Amino acid sequence: MSTTTDAVAPGHRTVPVARPARPAARRADGQLVLHAAFVVACLVTLFPLAWMLRTAFAPSHDVFRATLSLWPDHATLGNFTAAFRLHPVGTWFANSVVVAGAITLGKLALSVPAGFAFGVMTFRGRDAAFVLVVGTMTVPYVITLLPTYVAVASIGLYDTLTGAIVPVIGHCGFVVFFLRQAFKSLPRELFEAARIDGAGPWRQMLGIALPNIWGAVAAMAVLSFLGAWNLYLWPHLILDASEHKTLSIGLKLFATTGEQGGEWGPLMATALLAALPVVVLYLVAQRQLVSAFATSGVR
Amino acid sequence: MTLAWRRLGQSPWLFAGPAVAAAIAFVWLPMVSTLALSFFDWSLLRHEATWRGLDHYRGTLANPDFHLALANTGLYLAALLPLQVGVPLVLAFALARVRAKTAGRLYRTALFAPSVLSFPVAAVVWLWLFNPTVGFLNTLTGSLGVPPQRWLSDPDLAIWSVIAVTFWKSFGLNLLIFLAALANVPADVTEAARIDGAGPFRQAVDIELPLISPALFFAVVTTIIIVLDEIVGAVDVLTEGGPYRTSSNLLYFLYERGFRHFQFGEAAAVAMLIAVLVAGVTWAQFRFGERHVHYD
Repeated sequence: MSTTTDAVAPGHRTVPVARPARPAARRADGQLVLHAAFVVACLVTLFPLAWMLRTAFAPSHDVFRATLSLWPDHATLGNFTAAFRLHPVGTWFANSVVVAGAITLGKLALSVPAGFAFGVMTFRGRDAAFVLVVGTMTVPYVITLLPTYVAVASIGLYDTLTGAIVPVIGHCGFVVFFLRQAFKSLPRELFEAARIDGAGPWRQMLGIALPNIWGAVAAMAVLSFLGAWNLYLWPHLILDASEHKTLSIGLKLFATTGEQGGEWGPLMATALLAALPVVVLYLVAQRQLVSAFATSGVR
Repeated sequence: MTLAWRRLGQSPWLFAGPAVAAAIAFVWLPMVSTLALSFFDWSLLRHEATWRGLDHYRGTLANPDFHLALANTGLYLAALLPLQVGVPLVLAFALARVRAKTAGRLYRTALFAPSVLSFPVAAVVWLWLFNPTVGFLNTLTGSLGVPPQRWLSDPDLAIWSVIAVTFWKSFGLNLLIFLAALANVPADVTEAARIDGAGPFRQAVDIELPLISPALFFAVVTTIIIVLDEIVGAVDVLTEGGPYRTSSNLLYFLYERGFRHFQFGEAAAVAMLIAVLVAGVTWAQFRFGERHVHYD
């Protein structure tokens, strides 16, 4: 397989070879070793997920069998119904959707205009304001935890989804930074033309700039949703009653209650429900996500 | 609509203001409040504050549990930094040399998959694999003739189990960062090296590595942030810091003081100490970065 791709790989035919190329057979061998190593690495990496799947669909007598087989003989959905019977898993799922959705929308609502202001507009105090917003990226999240908790509790938002959502929206430094870079990359003539046509800044942002940076906005939406769906410590501190929990923190409750020896089948079924949306989102929006992560690293 | 109103409606502060306000309200103000809180005894129920000066800092610095948490944090960092930077780096160099593009993309997708999970999901999945009686790992070691291990309740083993889960769940992020950086290395540079007779290994070490050093630097920072700021989800689900606090760390210590024992003043002092540590590490990184990192 690698030899056929060698033949069609662009750049390899056109490159002038200054010295005798290494024997083709040896190069193909190298590729073969690479592929073998990566297949092994991928299988090892994916194995825990495969095992979660197996357990989630295994009938209870099969779960506790000492086995190395990757799939149960009689797959069943019984663990899912058992999970919903043991804990309010459906409510947890809905809460996770609400929390992650609201945080994502909130962050975008703050960050799109801010990114536009910092990237396109000029005004006094802009640089200071920019530092104030983007500088939050350097603040370790733990340092904000205690006072925010006290504040949320003292205005009666303890154990509410609102309390779990609102403070997180404020941590949008990276989203602002990323969107500002996107807005900044647009040619200035674009806005000049709009201004001459009498478009105010809001119309310039919504009608002209935004349609040109949908990719960046989508990347930040996916990134924010992933981050919010996976939040642990903050909702764990704020949400107390079982029916107020999100999936991430419900899992901990699930894993630590019930008889010792555990409801492993239903627990893995719940873990699968918690993993599914983010994995699907990742597979669908992989390109945007990779670009977002990449920019966060390379500048 | 009068002109003044219209101008107000177009003010840049209408665009940037909400984000600035949120940053102040939810990050900067809480940060200052944490500092203030660390000098007081504070009761959530009675809303009473008693001045304690530097007592919480003295108490924390003298607390053997804090020493253990600090030493463990050092161990987490010492183990995870080389793993989280080294392994993805090797994988990225190798992946960049896979010529079949579709296969390469598949490998990347698979290797990054655990990184999109949350720490609690990853931890619960591994809780099951680690189960001492019926977990897969002991079934596997048993079939190899190794006696069953208590992965999470053996004081010598627990922290390494948490480290393994953390690594599995987060190495993909650094892999993506390195891959993106490698993709930005101009092809003519590596081509020139190849024509000069540099093998793939020499190309990687002498040409590509220096060119992607900003990404390397960033990967170190993300790893430190994971250990100091995010790992708590794994620790809490897997071991709750045990057995005998052997897998605890600074963040978990703060969580215990603040939210199990509700010693907010003391927990605030711990938060400040963590922040000083993070700031110190970041500063050291930047100083190191200035001298050794090519921003080109």
